[in-house]
Amino acid sequence: MNSLSRTTRSWMFLAAAVAAVGAVSALGADAGHAAAAHDASHGASAHGAAHAHGHVSAFSLKQIAHSYLTAYMFCLSLCVGSLFLTLAHHLFDAGWSASIRRVTETMASLLFPWMLILALPIIGFAWTGNLHAWFKIDPATDHALDVKKVLFNPKAFTLMVPVLVFLLGSMARSIRAWSVAQDKDGAAIWTTKSRKLAAGGIFFFAIGVTLLCFLLMKSLQHQFFSTMYGVYYFAGSVWTTLITLYLLTMWLAQPGRPLEKVYFKRQQQDLGVLFFAFTVFYAYIHFSQYFLIWNAAIPEETFWYVLREVGSWKWVGMTILFGHFFVPFLILLNQDIKRNLAVMIPVGAWAWLMHYIDMTYNIMPVIHPEGLHLTLWDPLLWLGMSALLGRLFWSEYRKNPAYPLKDPRLQEAIIHHEVPAPGAAAAHGHAAH
Amino acid sequence: MSSNRSKPHGLLAEFHTAADIFEAAIRCRDAGFTKWDVYTPFPIHGMDEAMGLRKSPVGWFTFCGGFTGFFTGMTMIWYMNKFDYPLVVGGKPLFTPLFAFPVSYEMTILLSAFGTLFGMFFLNKLPRFHNPLFKNERFKKSTDDRFFICIEAADPKFGLEATRAFLTEKCHASVVELVED
Repeated sequence: MNSLSRTTRSWMFLAAAVAAVGAVSALGADAGHAAAAHDASHGASAHGAAHAHGHVSAFSLKQIAHSYLTAYMFCLSLCVGSLFLTLAHHLFDAGWSASIRRVTETMASLLFPWMLILALPIIGFAWTGNLHAWFKIDPATDHALDVKKVLFNPKAFTLMVPVLVFLLGSMARSIRAWSVAQDKDGAAIWTTKSRKLAAGGIFFFAIGVTLLCFLLMKSLQHQFFSTMYGVYYFAGSVWTTLITLYLLTMWLAQPGRPLEKVYFKRQQQDLGVLFFAFTVFYAYIHFSQYFLIWNAAIPEETFWYVLREVGSWKWVGMTILFGHFFVPFLILLNQDIKRNLAVMIPVGAWAWLMHYIDMTYNIMPVIHPEGLHLTLWDPLLWLGMSALLGRLFWSEYRKNPAYPLKDPRLQEAIIHHEVPAPGAAAAHGHAAH
Repeated sequence: MSSNRSKPHGLLAEFHTAADIFEAAIRCRDAGFTKWDVYTPFPIHGMDEAMGLRKSPVGWFTFCGGFTGFFTGMTMIWYMNKFDYPLVVGGKPLFTPLFAFPVSYEMTILLSAFGTLFGMFFLNKLPRFHNPLFKNERFKKSTDDRFFICIEAADPKFGLEATRAFLTEKCHASVVELVED
């Protein structure tokens, strides 16, 4: 009864949120159409440069659409990052992460239906000409679009975005369902099934996430080329997911909370180390993308970064360079820092901010080429969508056991880690066996 | 020579499982031994803490190596491309950290690796070509399926009979053998 009402409440909350966005869409529809017509007439000359729409007002649909997309891409990061960590656990047949896997399974399961429902307004915004300019451009008048129209056409977009989110979500849900089934009977077959799905699924994951961020984010400037864009989004996503997971599992492992008996320093340290590794990986990928484009100096590619060096965007770029890489890198170099909550909690908040700025850097220069321009929608939609998904996560997480109770690798995750301090050996007994 | 031979190096205790030696290491640590070591065929999680080892200072050598490498790379390219023999390549500036970065980055990795390796050698007083344990036949199984603790005679808490009794009775070693120097 209790869980039913929780689900109902979540649905109502979500419906209200979608309705609110829909209502605003309806109010701003005229402005949207006007802007769309404007886009269409300028489509042919759009190649290689930012669309100079002039000032985009804070209450225009265009602004809301872009703020919504930024929030969505941020939240999608956490879901695909969690899905990756779940798949990686099975691929490596890992032991240490068994005790925190239910958290990543649940977070990844938010992809379906929740992230799919949240994607619907994006499709609506795009069709009304408030998001992707190419929705209203005739490919015959735009060579860059013409060669990419197989992927970048309204029908493909409308079909592929929900289907990709659905398939990724189904993968997450299957793995979680098998894991929950194992909680009851302890059979090894469930682990084997997950491992097989992960082996094939990792390829689909790579292609699916790349296509999703190409369609949703990269195609805002459809003229751009970058084969690294997918892995760039992936690296930032896993980075943000790891610190979120670090703080969430730390909280869940406090005395009296569900992970208390299965979460140790080892999990904390390993999550910290992985977060550190992805700090470097993200920087490596983003630098490589920038460096290759800079070095080759081909206008079809450079325009993307040229736009992002105008006005205050230059400083946003510098903030990403130093704030997304150098600051966390230098802080996390020390081994023991990774278990110091007084440092890691601020670093976590900082990482969330940096990833959001990174998404903003990708999306917002399209409508604000003159420089960074924040509106109330940005924090509102970002924190609102995160809070909504956080709430959905919590209600789903509480429906099942907090960790895989009968996972064959759980024993490895929980033994041998609590070494008694000097002098306590007499009371220690044979716990290590 | 014969007087040298009779001088004890230490007591070698043999164990059959990782759990046994883990437990024994905790007891050796708590007994206050300082000159002793654990030899296992594979790494055992948590052994550092069980032995009471402090954090390895090797990281500092790594850091210094990496730091030196990064700035060597940057300086080298600045010196060659802008200072010593200015050369315009592909319309790019004479010097920018951008194109110097890949090389500096590789130099960072290279010198970090050197720092780690040679720092480890330095801290372990390596290379060292001989250890009395090498003569022991039983010890050869430490690379196969046996686990060993050796408490050296140089340890201030070492007493031949007392330590032997400690290893047998408190640590439950299967065999305790005297290794001569």
